[in-house]
Amino acid sequence: MVTQLGTYDDSLDFGSLNLAKSVGICLGSRLERLQGKKVIFSDEERSLVPIDGWGTRSSPYCATTITTIAPLMENTIIASVDSSSIQVAETEEGALYGVKCGIALAFGGHSLMHFKIGPILFYLTEEAAKDSKLDSRLAKLVLLDGDYAKRLLRVRVERVVQTELSAHLVGSVLLVDGSLRSSIFEDQDNSMAKIAENCTLYRNKLVGISKSTKFKILDRISAPLAKVPSPAFIEVGMVIKSLVRNSIGSNLLVKFERSSPVLRADVVGNCEESLGRILGNDSVARGYPETLRLAHHISTFTATEVTCLKSHILTKYDVTELATEDIRRTLLSSISV
Amino acid sequence: MQILSKTGNELALLALKSDLASKGDYLLIEDEKSKRKMIVQVFDEEYLSSQALLEDIVKDEVVNASSNENLHDPLNIGILSRMIRDARIFKAKIRAAVNQYGKLSSDITWLPSRVDSRVRLLGISELCGFLGRSGVLPIPVGKSASKGSEEDFEIYAEDLDGRLNIITGKKESGKSHLSKMLVKTLIKHGAFVVVFDLNNEYSGLAWNKDGSPSDVQKKIMILEPGKGLRFSLRYCGKAAISDMLKNALDMPAASLREFFRIWDWLENKQSLGIDAIGNAINTWNINELVRDALVSRYHVIQASGLFADNEEACFQFENAINHNNGLAIIINMGRVGPTVRRMIVEIVLSKLVDLLEQGKIHPIFLFAEEAHLYIRDTYWEDIITRMRHFGIYTTFITNQPDAIGDGVYRQVDNIFLFNFTNDSDLDKISRVSLADNDTIRSIVRTLPQRYCLAIGKVVCDLPIVIKVAQSEVLTLGETKKFFKKSA
Repeated sequence: MVTQLGTYDDSLDFGSLNLAKSVGICLGSRLERLQGKKVIFSDEERSLVPIDGWGTRSSPYCATTITTIAPLMENTIIASVDSSSIQVAETEEGALYGVKCGIALAFGGHSLMHFKIGPILFYLTEEAAKDSKLDSRLAKLVLLDGDYAKRLLRVRVERVVQTELSAHLVGSVLLVDGSLRSSIFEDQDNSMAKIAENCTLYRNKLVGISKSTKFKILDRISAPLAKVPSPAFIEVGMVIKSLVRNSIGSNLLVKFERSSPVLRADVVGNCEESLGRILGNDSVARGYPETLRLAHHISTFTATEVTCLKSHILTKYDVTELATEDIRRTLLSSISV
Repeated sequence: MQILSKTGNELALLALKSDLASKGDYLLIEDEKSKRKMIVQVFDEEYLSSQALLEDIVKDEVVNASSNENLHDPLNIGILSRMIRDARIFKAKIRAAVNQYGKLSSDITWLPSRVDSRVRLLGISELCGFLGRSGVLPIPVGKSASKGSEEDFEIYAEDLDGRLNIITGKKESGKSHLSKMLVKTLIKHGAFVVVFDLNNEYSGLAWNKDGSPSDVQKKIMILEPGKGLRFSLRYCGKAAISDMLKNALDMPAASLREFFRIWDWLENKQSLGIDAIGNAINTWNINELVRDALVSRYHVIQASGLFADNEEACFQFENAINHNNGLAIIINMGRVGPTVRRMIVEIVLSKLVDLLEQGKIHPIFLFAEEAHLYIRDTYWEDIITRMRHFGIYTTFITNQPDAIGDGVYRQVDNIFLFNFTNDSDLDKISRVSLADNDTIRSIVRTLPQRYCLAIGKVVCDLPIVIKVAQSEVLTLGETKKFFKKSA
């Protein structure tokens, strides 16, 4: 083809490139295997699961012992903790992050109260990292990657609150959003292990509930649980422990209501009793403890709060706001990508 | 306050709860760079609303309803959040501009800077300074209804002089109260006022609330048909009587001709009088049907008590007006029927025009309450055009804006608008009034009792909300009720 600028080399023929073969050397595309499979299309921003599960095919790893959970009506405080963090601003030297934490308490089947902590601002710079007790490699990591920084702040704030609750409550259930795992971001004084230890010491139960899991195998294991017409759980410790090293407590798949989603749960203490106390003292609507839901809602940043934080920074710290542009939008033009 | 946007001649201003301004208030936008100023008037107020904000509010409400909240907010972000939730948008109409030399200008084609502009409440005295409002005969009507600062507000009698005014608003919104205030002050300034008083309430002007005589008591003349309001046929003249018979008593042309033959005959005999006309009708050689028509009208005229033969006992406008410095002639029509009301109005207006034409009396201010009840349709035009040139300056007071024709509204110089909530009334007013539709609809709908929106010459064509002052005079004309309120 002749263009105004001249001709290009006809030998450059993308059609003859065998991309499948090239990638297939390390990883086959195996599209023939897709034939007849059940599929859900993915959305990067949401975690989607099939409403009726993947079907009845059970995993060979599947533990067959299903334990039903009976609500334990003995009055117990259920304390749920959740937190969130956002990056609010950037400077030449670092970034400014906001953290919020929510604690919701229920007792005897009713909401007791909730605590909203924050927003609290943290300014992370190289200098701040140097002055901190953070491991130098970890410090570099959080300075380089905002997502790690947010996670560090969230984990640290959450752990402090959880430690406090675990040492102050007696005979209660401490509910945590997510699995019970030691994190590289936690400090030793407020580690998950320390929290679990406190819970044992003060006869508290520690339960971590994950809304979703990245272990696909658990979906298949959960198949028999979906058929049970009452709240129930199955032990999946063998599977989890083979995949994760730093997990704490017993690993379960749990269903709180007849036709609610199956959730992954980690429990420190007697599993049946812990889950029974949750059922007896917290409302479990749509298969998720209400206190945990409330803690999530009060810990998330609202658009108004973000605006307020920015306004606070502008007025309080005498900073100058620079004009910004969306670099992707500028480079890729107005078609949203 | 901060300028947000402009659409047409409307500005949207962002304000916090602490920014004191309310509907009707004037704001001054000072562009510090260009040294120009813009005068805008708030006509509506709404919350700053965004989907995110609404979601936050709903979320908070649900969360707080489900459990007790305990806050640990070290940065006090909650306060800012509450400020945002209470933030509001003032919608304001651009009314005028002030140029670099401090002169009021109608050039509102420029845009004030969003960055360099300062927005502040404009006091009424400052606004009047820009407008150059002045006069020598002030009428204090109350206070400017500004949220920020209440200032005494006065209009000037000169702005009512030679003008057509309308006071309108729903029942018990304060129309008559303002009308009485205007009458009282006009006569204090030496003006002559004729009031068609439908509810016999203006006689209270002669008395203070405590029962003592008011400072204008000697300038109040109360006339009732048969009691003071009594004319001789000769004084009224053929033209006025003709108008009355034709328009108020619907006398056919043939009967009217016979009536005036009798009139001429009696006049030639020097014996024109009400009894003489009665006798003549009975003995006159005419068709019986015409006689019947004349007799029936004669009885109405006689029963009205408006006419007498004794000229010395009869009322003459020129005597009353020319011997006083300021006078309110209050014609009580509350106890007479619609026909007599129409007769009174025909006689009075015809006679006043006649006297003004001859230059025998000073121009007068006419206050007509619910005029549609006694002024015939064809008369309106006459009032607003011909009579105005002779020197009858009318103020209509009504709670039915649709009873006044569009022709009247188009000629009107001043409107005092009290509260209206009815959509059709607001429609009518906003279509024909001197101010824009949005201002009328939004401000008038929410005016409290005794607050009015003044539009027109009295306020130099910039609508101003006025809180009408408390009445000093005796309030009459209240509805008589069966059930009494317990103390």
